Amino acid sequence: MKMIWAIIRPEYSQKVIDALEKTGISAMTRLNVTGHGTEMGITAGMVNYSEIPKEMLMLVLPDIDVARAVRIISTMAKTWQKENPGLGAIGDGKIFVTYVEDAYTIRTAENRRERTGSSGKNR
Amino acid sequence: MKKIIAVIRNEKVEETKSNLAKIGVTGATFLHVTGKGMRDGMIPSQFLGSEHRPYTGRHPLKRRDDIPVSVDPVCLLAEKEREPGFRPQRMLVIVANNSDVRPIIATLIATNYTGHHGDGAIFVCPMISAVRVRNGEQGDSALV
Repeated sequence: MKMIWAIIRPEYSQKVIDALEKTGISAMTRLNVTGHGTEMGITAGMVNYSEIPKEMLMLVLPDIDVARAVRIISTMAKTWQKENPGLGAIGDGKIFVTYVEDAYTIRTAENRRERTGSSGKNR
Repeated sequence: MKKIIAVIRNEKVEETKSNLAKIGVTGATFLHVTGKGMRDGMIPSQFLGSEHRPYTGRHPLKRRDDIPVSVDPVCLLAEKEREPGFRPQRMLVIVANNSDVRPIIATLIATNYTGHHGDGAIFVCPMISAVRVRNGEQGDSALV
């Protein structure tokens, strides 16, 4: 079982969510965050904007779905550039994947790891 | 060291805080988030006591079978309100020692359980280290 933290452009989040739902991945949490990457934000004239609003999606998935979800997020969140299609633009975001050892559903108080049989400890 | 991420109902936050304090967990981070679950059937807490069915994306009175349906208050919400499927919830992040994880999870489940969709979920992730910013303490002693 893995946890995906995806930081994406807010204007693309609905597109990403719809694409994920179409393939059956519908459980997720959405956070509004601000931040900047290695480019230190946007500099317009004298002013540097370093806290750019982004949207963060958190998904917890069985190992088998992770590659699919990452592929969907990375294609749908990419900015379409006319001159070099498929390359994206600075500020499109990042996807982080971490381990989850245990996951519980509060409604049923069951351990989701035991249900899916994912070991969660494969390092 | 483990990081516990719980997504819970907004109304349960105060109760969760006091119950966690009872077992000696006083440090926690709360975030305002919106979330949805596996089958889009999250029940807003104002409807918890009433007759309800999870919103399934279908009109409540237009079912294919002939079973009579009582109108679901969730389905009567404004289209705009229910369409995205995301409902406001609270995310709770606790970093704890390995031995504290089980009691914390038991407390979170016992406090937030209502038995309806939308109760939330708890995730436990491995954590390598923690540093207290005030004096640079590292590891388990930074958590106390």
